[in-house]
Amino acid sequence: MRPHSSLKQEFLKEWIKGLQRCSFPKKSILERKKAIKLSADIAMASARNGTTCWSRALISSAAKDGSDNNHLVKQILGPESDRPAVENKAPARQASVCKKILKRSCRIRRRGRRKCGAAAAPSSIAKHLVKKRRQILRSLIPGGEFMNEICLIEETLDYITSLRVQVDVMRSLATASVRGTE
Amino acid sequence: MELNAGTGGNGSHKTASERDEVAALESLQFTDEIRRLMSAPGGDNASSFTALLELPAPQAVQLIQSPDSAKLIAAPAPAPAPAPAPNVDDFRGSFQFPFNCGLIDRAARFSVFAGDGNINGNNKSNSPEPTSYNSSASLQKPVKSEPAETESSQPLVSDPTVENRSVKRKDREKVKGSSKKSKTSAKESSDDAEKLPYVHVRARRGQATDSHSLAERARREKINARMKLLQDLVPGCSKISGTALVLDEIINHVQSLQRQVEFLSMRLAAVNPRIDFNLDSVFTAESGSLMDSNFSGMVIPMMWPEVQLNGNRQQYPQQLHLDAFQQPVSGREEVCNSYITPENSLLSYDSSGNSASLHSNQLKMEL
Repeated sequence: MRPHSSLKQEFLKEWIKGLQRCSFPKKSILERKKAIKLSADIAMASARNGTTCWSRALISSAAKDGSDNNHLVKQILGPESDRPAVENKAPARQASVCKKILKRSCRIRRRGRRKCGAAAAPSSIAKHLVKKRRQILRSLIPGGEFMNEICLIEETLDYITSLRVQVDVMRSLATASVRGTE
Repeated sequence: MELNAGTGGNGSHKTASERDEVAALESLQFTDEIRRLMSAPGGDNASSFTALLELPAPQAVQLIQSPDSAKLIAAPAPAPAPAPAPNVDDFRGSFQFPFNCGLIDRAARFSVFAGDGNINGNNKSNSPEPTSYNSSASLQKPVKSEPAETESSQPLVSDPTVENRSVKRKDREKVKGSSKKSKTSAKESSDDAEKLPYVHVRARRGQATDSHSLAERARREKINARMKLLQDLVPGCSKISGTALVLDEIINHVQSLQRQVEFLSMRLAAVNPRIDFNLDSVFTAESGSLMDSNFSGMVIPMMWPEVQLNGNRQQYPQQLHLDAFQQPVSGREEVCNSYITPENSLLSYDSSGNSASLHSNQLKMEL
């Protein structure tokens, strides 16, 4: 078992704070689940304090104006909303720029590929496979489309660790609360 | 740190078997270090992974200044460890862990206890060993003066940290026995490499030496190093060779973790509709349990605070919309069986209080 109890504790604290702040609608279980998951995600992301790209992307996507859970996010973040909000503006601008660059490069690459025709070399096939998987990974990790390959792998490392922590904490909380009711 | 003491102590032994053992031990320790570092996102650095692999410039240069790497850089004939060259005896002591010292330096630096003392201590412990190298003396200049040197034959490689890291990778590869490739070309570039702090990527035999391919190679090695870390992190990935399959595993792992989060949040929503009053008791129990990571210990402290909640528990089953709950569960049935059975048992628990014991049994099985 990995000794990241400090991270776990921090995550738990933030999560419970967030849960306490957001008022539970008590209407449907799906809404409740959404609130729980959202507060967990935001707690996880804020535990990184904006040091990693995925955490910023997560918070910014959750706090996007016009999304239905915007109010929840505002409630959860509460007084700390200034800190992640400020950081989100810069990545948003970078994100749009990166998107344009990516689109441009994809267009060029598509043109080039048509000219070359079928590439029968095994190395190119392998590269193609790897590229496909990298794209899938990019879609999985929040904010992954805007990273180059090196950043992507680092963010994946971080993201996996945080997800593990999240899962552990949630699982222990769930089992504890269920056990206590018997 | 104990790692440095270990390397200093073992430096005097020259037998091959001991060296192998110690090398294996060092690598184990290093992976433990990495794990510890990864799990403890230290407050001193932005991200422990990047801190581990991307050194800030002055510290990277200090690494270069350490006699171990200095000898390696300047060595015209860095024979692999078992090679019985006459002047290798001096290096054998330090050479056994060339990459270990470098990486342990970095690991030590970014752990909680590390400071400059560790690095200096490591340097000192290894410096009494071969001093026949004049180049090491030349590298011990102060940090500030070195960036001024521009003898580099590879002008495009501008990032010192990248180069230092690539040097470390090169060192490691040399130890692993691919040094024969680099030996001959190392001779040519060693003169340039000696005096420079930002030791650049060295051209391997038969490979192009223009700046583009060097930068490309440095980048590729960076990516490979990080992929290795990922492989260690994701369980069951270390045996797989091949980037595509490893990436497959990583993707599966991330997806499964995300799905687990969804499931658990759904479960929490079902189990605990009134989280607010529950939180304090749960929190205290949780903090205690998280310290020990012991689930059984949780049950006892949980029992008495939850007793008063039993009265409320009877009321909430009617609040649950069982239909809404069943649909997402069936939709995700194929994913994770261990979570389905508690969900189903939860449903049965809500409808009739008899299955509480069944529920607890299933939970125990799941754990």
